[in-house]
Order: sequence, then C-alpha cells, then structure tokens
Amino acid sequence: MPLKNTNIVSAAQTKFGKLEGVTLREMFAEAVDKATTQAGVPKEDIQAAFIGTFIPEMLVHQGHTAPLLLDYAGMRGLPATRHEAACASGATALRAAIMAIESGLYDTVLVAGAEKMTSVSTNRATEALAAAADDEFESGIGLTFPGVFAIAAVAHMQEYGTTEEDMALVAVKAHKNASTNPLAQFQKEITLEKALTPRYIAWPLKLFDCSPISDGAAALVLTSNEKAKQYTDTPVRIIGTGQASASMNLCDRTVLTSFEASVKASRIAYDMAGLGPKDMDFAVVHDCFTIAEIIATEDLGLFEPGEGARAVREGVTALDGDMPVNPMGGLKAVGHPVGATGVKQAVVVYRELIGEAGPNQVPRHDTAIMHNFGGTGATCVVNIMRRADA
Amino acid sequence: MSGRPSLEQYKKNIEARDFKAYKCAKCGAVIAPPVGVCYSCGGTQMEWTGVSGKGKLVSYTVIHVAPEQFQDEAPYYIGIVELEEGTRITVRLTGLDPQRPAEVKIGMPMVLDYDTGKSGRTYLAFRPA
Ligand SMILES: CC(C)(COP(=O)(O)OP(=O)(O)OC[C@H]1O[C@@H](n2cnc3c(N)ncnc32)[C@H](O)[C@@H]1OP(=O)(O)O)[C@@H](O)C(=O)NCCC(=O)NCCS
Ligand SMILES: [Zn+2]
Repeated sequence: MPLKNTNIVSAAQTKFGKLEGVTLREMFAEAVDKATTQAGVPKEDIQAAFIGTFIPEMLVHQGHTAPLLLDYAGMRGLPATRHEAACASGATALRAAIMAIESGLYDTVLVAGAEKMTSVSTNRATEALAAAADDEFESGIGLTFPGVFAIAAVAHMQEYGTTEEDMALVAVKAHKNASTNPLAQFQKEITLEKALTPRYIAWPLKLFDCSPISDGAAALVLTSNEKAKQYTDTPVRIIGTGQASASMNLCDRTVLTSFEASVKASRIAYDMAGLGPKDMDFAVVHDCFTIAEIIATEDLGLFEPGEGARAVREGVTALDGDMPVNPMGGLKAVGHPVGATGVKQAVVVYRELIGEAGPNQVPRHDTAIMHNFGGTGATCVVNIMRRADA
Repeated sequence: MSGRPSLEQYKKNIEARDFKAYKCAKCGAVIAPPVGVCYSCGGTQMEWTGVSGKGKLVSYTVIHVAPEQFQDEAPYYIGIVELEEGTRITVRLTGLDPQRPAEVKIGMPMVLDYDTGKSGRTYLAFRPA
C-alpha cells in the first residue's frame, strides 16, 4: 500500500563545493533557514529533527552533531537524532522522518544533512571515507572508495563490455547538467577527451570518474496531508520507500556487476507505491562514481542489466532524453558532501517535480525515483515521490 | 592454534605468514574473511582450517590515491580472489606491474603469497600462478 501521509513542502541546499571559511554548523543553519523561515515554514512549527552526518568526528573533530547543529540553527530543545549510514546517511534520516509522520507521532519535521570535508587533505579524506568499508578486511589493507567502485567497474567491463569511454560519457553528461546549476561545485562543461584524461585514482577510474570532496548542507520540511496545504499548493508526496543492507565486504558478494541492496530496496519501494520502473519520469541516483550511475540505473530496473552504458551512449539519460538521470548534475558534478547527499537528492527530486528546476527542468515531472547508497553498497535507500496533484 | 578461532588470531596468522581460514564445524564450509554465523547452514561453531592456496582472480584495481597510512605504498593492486575451497577474499596482488593493469586477466589462476609493505605490515596477498 502506498504511503498516505508524507509530504515534502519545502526543500533547499547550500552551494556545494570548497566552502572556504564556512563551518559545518554555518552551512547547516543556512540550509535550514532556506527550507524553513525563507520558505514560509515557521521554525516553531517543527516538532523534531532527523539529521544525516557521516564522519564529522574525523573531518572536523565533532560528534553528537544533531543537537549541536540544531542549536546553532535556532531550534534548541527539539528531539534531534543523527543518522549515520555512510553516504546514505541523509536518506536514512529522511526514512526515519517518513516513519515518524506515517506513525502519527509528529505532523511536521525537519530533515537535514551536512558534511564539511575540505577541512582535511585528500589523503586524509580518503582515509576517513574508507571507514565506510570493513576496517578489518578491506579498507584495512588499503582498499579505498574509488577502489571499491573500480573493482565493480572491472567486473562490469568484463561481463558486459562497458568501456572507459562509456563511463566518461556519464561524467560529460553530469558536468553539462551542472553547468546551469548555480549550486554545483563544477559549473563547466567538459569534453569527452578531458573526461578521459588518464589521471588514475583507482584504475580504471580516473579523476573525472569520481565525485569530488565537498562541503555542503541540504534540508527538507516534511508534513502531514492535513498541514501540507498551509505551506504550499504543490506538495510532493513520498509514496514508496525501501531500504536494504548487504555484506560490508565486497568479497562476500557473488555478483559484482550489480548491488543487491539497490535491487532489494527499489523492489520494496516500487511495490509499496504500486508502480514500476516504467512509471518513473526521471531518476536521481547515487553517482559517487560514473560506474555507480550505470549500475544503479540497471539495479533500479530502468534498463536491463548490461544496458546502462548503452542508455548513456544513446542519450536516453540526458536532460532531454526519455529517462533523464541526475538532471541537475548528480554527485559527480554538483559535489558529494557525504551526509548531505541523500537529503540533497530529495531536494532535486522536489524541485523537478514541482517544475522549479529552471534550465534543468525535465519535461515530464509527475513521478520520480531517488536512490541513495552507502559505502560498498551495504546500505541502500530508495524513495518514490509524486506531485500531490499528479 | 587450538581453541575457538578469533579475529585477533586470524590477523596474527597473516602477520606470521601462516594464513588459516575458518571452517564451519557443522557443515564444513570454508569461511574467510571470518563471519560470526555460517551463511551455508546457520552454524556458529567455527574451527581453523588450512587452505590449498590456489584460487582464481575475480576482479581487481590499482590504487593510486591511497589513505594517508598507505600512500607510500601506492600504486598497489587490490583484488578479490576466489579460493579453490569456494570462499572469496580481498587481498593485495603481487607479481603484477601496476603500470600495466589492462594486461591482467580476470579468471587467471593465483596462488597464496604475502606482501610486507613499506608500512611494515604484512598483507595477505596472491600472485599469478
Ligand atoms: C578524485 C580525488 C582523489 C581528486 O582529489 P585531488 O587529487 O586532491 O584533486 P585536487 O583537489 O588536487 O584537484 C585537482 C583539480 O581537479 C579538480 N577536481 C578535483 N576533484 C575532481 C573531481 N572529482 N571531478 C572533477 N574535477 C575534480 C579540482 O577542482 C582541481 O581543478 P583545478 O586544478 O582547476 O583547480 C578526490 O576528489 C576524491 O577522493 N574523490 C572521491 C571522493 C569519495 O570517495 N567519496 C565517497 C564516495 S562513496
Ligand atoms: Zn555451516
């Protein structure tokens, strides 16, 4: 049965990128302010906060971030809990908020995510991010996140003939979409040749196959049907949600060309919504690496296994294609402040669904899917959203 | 090496270049890296077992940008190897040129090895057979 009572009524993000001189709490407060006061939702209406941050302990030496951030944003006193699931932290916070509203416990809640990553060197950030993999058996021997997805890429290339050029085309599309997104870290188009620059991070993944190290925050207000109309004429309903886990270790998977948690979480979400992949007008997927986008589009059933690369080559996933994927530029070009990402993906879906995505507006925008992925794919959250009047 | 297998001992064995896997006492499944419950039968009673040291390469990468503690060792190979005994394990790969990864073939036969890195740590490794 589709979820019945959860609406997004406002959504905002800060600019993503190297936000020199802006601290975690300052960007959090900016995103929250934009999604509440500036969007006509008084902060006094918020009853609880669900907050995604991944590794602030390692990046800015700060734990217990939920009350800290909420306090700085002027909302001291509310129940505030941090949700951590590596790169899926944001979407697990969102899911907890969905459950809180569907249960009737609250009417109106805040969902927000933030990460400050450029405070440390690239090697340091790489090490901190590696905490999302198993420290005993994989990250502990020097496997990195680009490495995890490189191993999946090599398997996908072998199994389906996917090429480095196919992956580079995902980057070209991402940078093109981000070129008209003023909140993106990279706002310049790149050529295929540039995307193929052989600066290897984890072979066969090169600089342009990777999402960057970023700072940023995003926020949403969720509310019940009864309250939604007092904030907006165009609420967006969350009608299906799914979450699944998988083995932490990549070596414990029998298949490396697909992520089983993505498949499971999406089937749960589709079943709940009573819809299938063909009903989706566009998709926002977790493209932490170019290969991750290709595999995600297959795992969500948008394309057959092994057909994701062809969809990119033929322009199907372009902004004006039949199934636009990451229409605002994705993690790849907009940036990936880890704890903010899952929330930001919902911000993108919201803006596209209500028709306020400006030059990045997709033509058909009634129903969409978002896919947020954590670590080696050990956590995946999928949500299906629809404009309430669609 | 008697007694109940432990993670600590598993790592000490690798450090001592004497790799041992877990074996499910109930169904005999060979398990590495260790898990608390056997995925074949649900058994929780584990024993130590030696392995043949033979396997084949499942997938791999060459790490160029590494975590701080490993950067001095980069570029280095990491791969997943399926042991003859059936279990898959993530390891360092030795005996391969990090500048020529395209020449490495998935499915190629591999044998157990160890690699002591600049960090002084000994890694479980496999090299082409
Ligand atoms: C790919 C990566 C290693 C590059 O870091 P780096 O080598 O320190 O790169 P630098 O910061 O020195 O940047 C060099 C240039 O490339 C650009 N750049 C950095 N990362 C980029 C990226 N991912 N894509 C495109 N351009 C990038 C920079 O803007 C800079 O451009 P400039 O010279 O014009 O100023 C780093 O971004 C990274 O680790 N990304 C993966 C993050 C990750 O794993 N996230 C979790 C996913 S699950
Ligand atoms: Zn067993």
